[in-house]
Amino acid sequence: MLPITSYLFLSFALLFIGIIGALTRRNLVIKLLSTELALVAAAINFTAFARLYGDASGQIFAIVSIVTIVLQLLVALAIVAAVFRHWNAAAPGPAKDISSQRSD
Amino acid sequence: MPTQILNALRTFMHGNGAVLLPELQLLLFAVGMLVMDTWADKDPTSRQRLWNPALALAGTIFSALTLWMLHARIIESGDLDAFQVTLIVDSYFLYFSALFLAATALVILLSVNYPASFGLTQARSQARYYALLLFACMGMMFMVSAVDLFVIFLAVETVAITGYFLAATPGPSAKPTSTAITPLTAGMLGSAILAYAFSLLYGLSGATNIGRVASALTRRSNVAKVIVLSQQAGAHGAEMYQLLQSRLPGSVHWHPFILAVLPISAFILISIGILLKLTTTPFHSALKEAAPGIAAPVLLFLCGAFAVVAIALLMRLALTIFAETQGLWWYIVAALALAMILWGTYTSVLETNLQRLLASSSIAQIGFILLGLVSANEGALTGMSYYLFTYLFILTGAIAVLITVRHNGVAAEHLSDLAGLRRHNPISTILLIVFVLALAGFPPTAGFLGRYLIFRSLLQTAHPVLAWFAAIASIPLAYSYLRIAVYAWRNTGSPVESAAPSFGIPEAVVLGVCVFVSLAAGLYSEPFTRLARYAFGQ
Repeated sequence: MLPITSYLFLSFALLFIGIIGALTRRNLVIKLLSTELALVAAAINFTAFARLYGDASGQIFAIVSIVTIVLQLLVALAIVAAVFRHWNAAAPGPAKDISSQRSD
Repeated sequence: MPTQILNALRTFMHGNGAVLLPELQLLLFAVGMLVMDTWADKDPTSRQRLWNPALALAGTIFSALTLWMLHARIIESGDLDAFQVTLIVDSYFLYFSALFLAATALVILLSVNYPASFGLTQARSQARYYALLLFACMGMMFMVSAVDLFVIFLAVETVAITGYFLAATPGPSAKPTSTAITPLTAGMLGSAILAYAFSLLYGLSGATNIGRVASALTRRSNVAKVIVLSQQAGAHGAEMYQLLQSRLPGSVHWHPFILAVLPISAFILISIGILLKLTTTPFHSALKEAAPGIAAPVLLFLCGAFAVVAIALLMRLALTIFAETQGLWWYIVAALALAMILWGTYTSVLETNLQRLLASSSIAQIGFILLGLVSANEGALTGMSYYLFTYLFILTGAIAVLITVRHNGVAAEHLSDLAGLRRHNPISTILLIVFVLALAGFPPTAGFLGRYLIFRSLLQTAHPVLAWFAAIASIPLAYSYLRIAVYAWRNTGSPVESAAPSFGIPEAVVLGVCVFVSLAAGLYSEPFTRLARYAFGQ
């Protein structure tokens, strides 16, 4: 096994990239993907520490956190779909859809 | 066979089940409402419409009765725990759970008469709305009951996900706006940050129970203290150095600061994560571009109960896991609190939209409450739990007045809409003034005493600068609130043609309770401060 610091550096880098992405990008999909990266960082930490301590609960936490973020993504997509359907139906004029949130 | 099942159920209810029962009741009522709803008429009469709120209220009442029974039980036999000490029932849990149940019940009462004001014209969506409120309340109770990082994380997620749905409940314009999306993206980032912080704590201690995490962190800070001592000159320092070399050979070259960095960064990440997850709605509602499209009762729930549960969880973690390192993290809490006070005050002074004003000033109020963690002595903790309790009722009262005034034909969107309110609705005007004075922190209302307790604790623990700063910052905040009272009292403005003002029974109950708390807790505070001390088992 690599030393624990390698895993910590990897997870810190992922967290950093994820937070920066979630804060600076304007595209909703990229925002959600960046958040996913930040969460994967936590999961890597948990798994690495679980291996270090020989304790399964860290691995369980990693799986549980991934499941909850997937559930949140489902909720997010449902709400986004509802909002955009409403915008398209209720607001005449320039069509506002998800592609108008493109970055740059 | 049935007797076996009954016996198993009985054993469960005497053991783990008892700890879970208040939350379980809310869950059963919420699921029951959703199931019954599938048989409901497509086009219900007005009497049938009352079923959902009545069931939801019954759920909160049952749960509150169970809390009362648990209270008797922990007096008899001490705190209860269950499921390998992942959930506990102590006085902290009972106090805050009762507060969440009260907040939920008040929001339910305020939603009964105006389903149309937030797009709940179909009976289907009504049942979902009340079920969501109960789910959120259940999650909040789990948040203050959990003592394991796992369960805390899951409870925070439960509350946050119901919060996303509630924030997406369309407002009077019946159009979901960006109000629905911002809490969602911020909340997801918050959960990632929270999970990362928990992974650091797990890495530092190898445990997920917060008591075990706390003792691991204490050992760590003791090692740091020994390292500091070993680096001192003199015989004592040399002795410590030898001790370190024999016990922990590698540690003699460590810098004590390194040992403190990880717990402190975990604390920072936890505070950011919790605040991002649970208090984004007031932040977002305070923004100019966010239309006040969110329904008033939902706004009340998201700005009131969510903020209270965020602070309650932060307080629990700060006082157990991070109790040893308080000397290091109070700077961070102070900076966070001051930033919230300044930003909240600044935005609310400039605001003229009533709902946005209450939302943005609630940020400043959260800042004042957080200042209590800077001193974290007994007086400060009493002050914090007292402030949280009274603030919830005062905010509920203020929003309840806005809702009734709107029902009586005044738009009550902007400050100027209130002009001349005194002439045709004197009772609402007087109630509004009481709540506004309480929010602004004037004696003899409850708002004054809460702030006074926190400022006094700051002075006692030698933070006079912070206390003075917060006291001075309350002046512009008071100005922003008092504008509401002045507009409502002034005799100018076009007289609004309306029938005689009326209150529905649910609104009258809510207003009565809120006025009672905001005045009685200020005038005769002894029972209320005793209740606040009860949260900490005193």
